[in-house]
Amino acid sequence: MNTFRFMIVTPDRILFDGQVQEVIARTTEGDVGILAGHTRYAAILKTGALTVKMENGDKRIAAVAEGVIKVSDEKTTVMSSAAEWAEDIDPDWAERSRQDALAKIEAAKDEPDRLERANLKLQRALNRLSVSGHGTGTLESKHK
Amino acid sequence: MPNLKDIKRRIHSVESTMQITKAMELVASSKFRRAKDRAEAAQPFFEQTYKLMAEIAAEDPYFNSVFVHKRVENGAVLLVVIAGDRGLAGGFNSNVLKIAQARIDEVRAKGGNPIVIPIGQKAVDYFSRRDVKILRSYDHVAERASIYLGMDIADLVISTYKRHESLQNVELVFTNYVSPISQVAQCMNVIPLTRMPGTSPRRCAVEYEPSPEAVFDKLVPQYVAGLIYGAIVESFASEQAARRTAMENATDNATDMIDKLSLQYNRARQGAITQELTEIVGGANALE
Repeated sequence: MNTFRFMIVTPDRILFDGQVQEVIARTTEGDVGILAGHTRYAAILKTGALTVKMENGDKRIAAVAEGVIKVSDEKTTVMSSAAEWAEDIDPDWAERSRQDALAKIEAAKDEPDRLERANLKLQRALNRLSVSGHGTGTLESKHK
Repeated sequence: MPNLKDIKRRIHSVESTMQITKAMELVASSKFRRAKDRAEAAQPFFEQTYKLMAEIAAEDPYFNSVFVHKRVENGAVLLVVIAGDRGLAGGFNSNVLKIAQARIDEVRAKGGNPIVIPIGQKAVDYFSRRDVKILRSYDHVAERASIYLGMDIADLVISTYKRHESLQNVELVFTNYVSPISQVAQCMNVIPLTRMPGTSPRRCAVEYEPSPEAVFDKLVPQYVAGLIYGAIVESFASEQAARRTAMENATDNATDMIDKLSLQYNRARQGAITQELTEIVGGANALE
């Protein structure tokens, strides 16, 4: 199978840079699958799971926060404020940040700006929990 | 002839100062190393974001984004000023504040209205003592800065920019880390993005979902957050480098001073002994 160069970039590091077979990402318009030779493309990513099929055929899943995915001829890039591989997520920490987010939502009830920020934080925490296999149900159903 | 006791006391006092400067130098150099790694790690994210924005802007010069076009002349200017939380860092704080003050004076001279977001205790102190409007201040955030701090500030900046038509532009005053011995304070334009690289004739068809504008407007907060976060970590690295240099010089000066004082002390001691001897010999001679 053909491979292509794929990169996951966050503000504090490059999480991944290497050859992959396939990338499945969740955009605001729905899930997209990217294979080698994909047309040039850019879309907005929602907080969600990112599935990567490695060069050797192994599948890895990452929890990715809001961001952008870009496909160009030479490489595909995911730019997000935060990203972790499922196996690197500490469920205790994710759970703590979920509770922290809930507390923040409670505290920010009357301030739309801060409330939105707290909601995003909650989404990230829920996403981490569900990607690492510790969440109950999907992100959407839990958030509603 | 200086008093022996006085010189001894001065040597002690310089020695204890030297211990402090030496300790501060060591702390600054370990903090500096960490800060530098952080500043370097922030680079790729920022570069990638900027590149994609530039590509979208190049593709269609007429696309409609509030962030690209200049709205007013000589209107209000929002300055994000990043200084340190502590002093004793050579000219670090005063250099960056001097640049900010010069920009404020310039805006005022043109009839505009400067507004400041100070980051770092020193900047907060400086501007709260002056007649400048402060939108919001942040102190003691630089050392543990995360991208979420950058996003917070970016949100504030962008919502302010969107809400106030009279806001001409947003600028960032920070210290650029050049090398361990050179840090340059500078003022940089953030919004509007007027200097997007020119329209390239090579139009490459890219599919944007949902639309180029939507992707661009999503990128702007990410770009501003990345820029502010980058500036904060870079300023922090600069601050530590400046403090290390300043403390290194202070330690060297203290060593020189101690050498000079020791010499003085030994001379005085020798002088006292010689005098005593002369007195004894003189006394003995007188008895004969």
